[in-house]
Amino acid sequence: MKKNQIIGVFDSEDQLMKAIHKVKDKHIPIHEVYTPFPVFGAIEAMGKQSRFTYVAFLYGLFGALGVLAFLYYTSVIDWPMNFGGKPSAAFPSFIVITIVLTIFIVTILSLFTFSIRAKVWPGKAFSLPDVRATDDRFLLVFDSEGVADSLTELKTLLQQEGATEIIEKEVTQENVF
Amino acid sequence: MYNRAIRGPLVLGNKSYAQVTSDILQPLDRGAPNWWKIAFAFALILVIWGAWAIYVTVSQGIGTWGLNNTVGWGWAIINFVWWIGIGHAGTAFSIFLLILRQKWRTSINRAAEAMTVVAVGCAALFPALHMGRVWLAFYIIPYPNTRGPLWVNFNSPLFWDFIAISAYLLISLSFWYFGMVPDFATIRDKAKGKIKRAVYGLLAFGWTGSTKEWLRYENLSYVLGGIAAVLVVSVHSIVSTDFAVSVIPGWHATIFPPYFVVGAIFSGFAMVMTLMIIIRRFYKLQDYITDSHLNAISKILIFISLIMGTAYATEVFVAWYSGNEFELFTFFKNRITGTYTYHFWAMVVCNAIIPQLLWSKRIRKNLTIVFIISIIINLGMWYERYNIVITSLANDYLPSSWATYKPTLVDIGIYGGTLGLFTIGVLLFFKFIPMVAIHEVKSVMRAGENESKHS
Repeated sequence: MKKNQIIGVFDSEDQLMKAIHKVKDKHIPIHEVYTPFPVFGAIEAMGKQSRFTYVAFLYGLFGALGVLAFLYYTSVIDWPMNFGGKPSAAFPSFIVITIVLTIFIVTILSLFTFSIRAKVWPGKAFSLPDVRATDDRFLLVFDSEGVADSLTELKTLLQQEGATEIIEKEVTQENVF
Repeated sequence: MYNRAIRGPLVLGNKSYAQVTSDILQPLDRGAPNWWKIAFAFALILVIWGAWAIYVTVSQGIGTWGLNNTVGWGWAIINFVWWIGIGHAGTAFSIFLLILRQKWRTSINRAAEAMTVVAVGCAALFPALHMGRVWLAFYIIPYPNTRGPLWVNFNSPLFWDFIAISAYLLISLSFWYFGMVPDFATIRDKAKGKIKRAVYGLLAFGWTGSTKEWLRYENLSYVLGGIAAVLVVSVHSIVSTDFAVSVIPGWHATIFPPYFVVGAIFSGFAMVMTLMIIIRRFYKLQDYITDSHLNAISKILIFISLIMGTAYATEVFVAWYSGNEFELFTFFKNRITGTYTYHFWAMVVCNAIIPQLLWSKRIRKNLTIVFIISIIINLGMWYERYNIVITSLANDYLPSSWATYKPTLVDIGIYGGTLGLFTIGVLLFFKFIPMVAIHEVKSVMRAGENESKHS
């Protein structure tokens, strides 16, 4: 996967946000924004939303019902035991296990969901346009093909908004090994 | 919102983002300092002692401990509860303060979570060894087995404990790890050596910091934070039910769950304080872990100390007010006075009285005294568990079966071993993992800047 990209490098969050707004006003499609820490304005401007919370709720529901069903099956159906004449379907003492295991199930499933949706997992090949993005630079990245018509306009705009560098390069996937 | 004009900046020294990265990563690039090596060697000796004690325990049985028919729970359970309590700091810090959107947590949560993981690991060792035949420990896992299938007793707090501790360990481990992924990416991209780049690159999961990743990352941390907040309260509540559900005088009290949870957070915060002062002193991270951070922890400690004092007083009051002669005996003849007087009063003085010194601003500013107080609190919390476990068991309903308890070298060895293990874990953390969450600090270091410009 090889793509030509135009990268605007910024020093600060504020400059980056201003540039994003200007670019959006001109309807130039942004490919991606890379930041060293979460910049909520940028996430919003990219028009991305996540249904993570709904999914997590469903995991919780599944977990709670699953655990209760398991406890009922083991202690009532499969092998009921008599503990001092108390009923086998002892709901109050199932509550604790249900809560803790539900939390556990939600956590594990959420982590896997995150890993799959955000595409991060061990040994994944990644393409980072400029390594300084994980340190102190903010990258505003465009696809060369997408902005071919307004290339000069884009470059002047980025310069005006205080981009310290404008890089045009082929970004390749890389692997740590 | 964070008011910078009133509270001052969260990170001192007016640093650039690049400076933050290099400041926090410098311990990873340098060789280990001498104090680190000495501490490591010392901890290793403790671990070897612990390994010997564990060998004796496993090969000969728990008869090598100081337990007897009357006192069936000794140091092992005391240490178990103590370690779990210390382990509460990480979750309390990162999760409660995350939900409350307290920005100052960002410099501390990484270290607190590291502490949690190591402490809970140490804690888990004790119940496992207490089973006696540790090679049959897997019997506690409820799976369709060939023994019936015989299921475990789901009504038993001891089983709840197993579930709670395992879940807590795995959840705090994954919460901690995912918090580090962006920082591992930073190390990967700064690394000069090939091996370092490969190792941290593998740990970084191919993280790039795109909006796509950050969006889900933030969502994940709030979902996990929200759900794990329940764990902070539930884990130690469940530990307390190990005691409260029994019929032993001094144990079967409804105050136990909140009392244990607060006590756990108390010792956890005290341990965080101890560690933070060490990190500041040896790694010169004063600009990140500022005086205002330590001041905030001190104030939390005073507050919790007051709750602890109230809890102790409540226990004694209820024992008297109930008119139950066994409760009266336990509290008045067996704790306040009697064989175990020393442990009771050590608990009260260390946990409820000495921390009150922190009311004074001058003392809060003197980090040597604060450091000593934080150690005293942890000692006091150990005495509290001693006081609960031993006094109630040693002298219960039948005077004919009363007994005294004394730990053996094996008991002490296992405890020493876990202290060594904890120290080694923390030292490795200092050396190989950024102690302060780099990306989180970067995201809050400008907090409130615009507001202060206007004012």
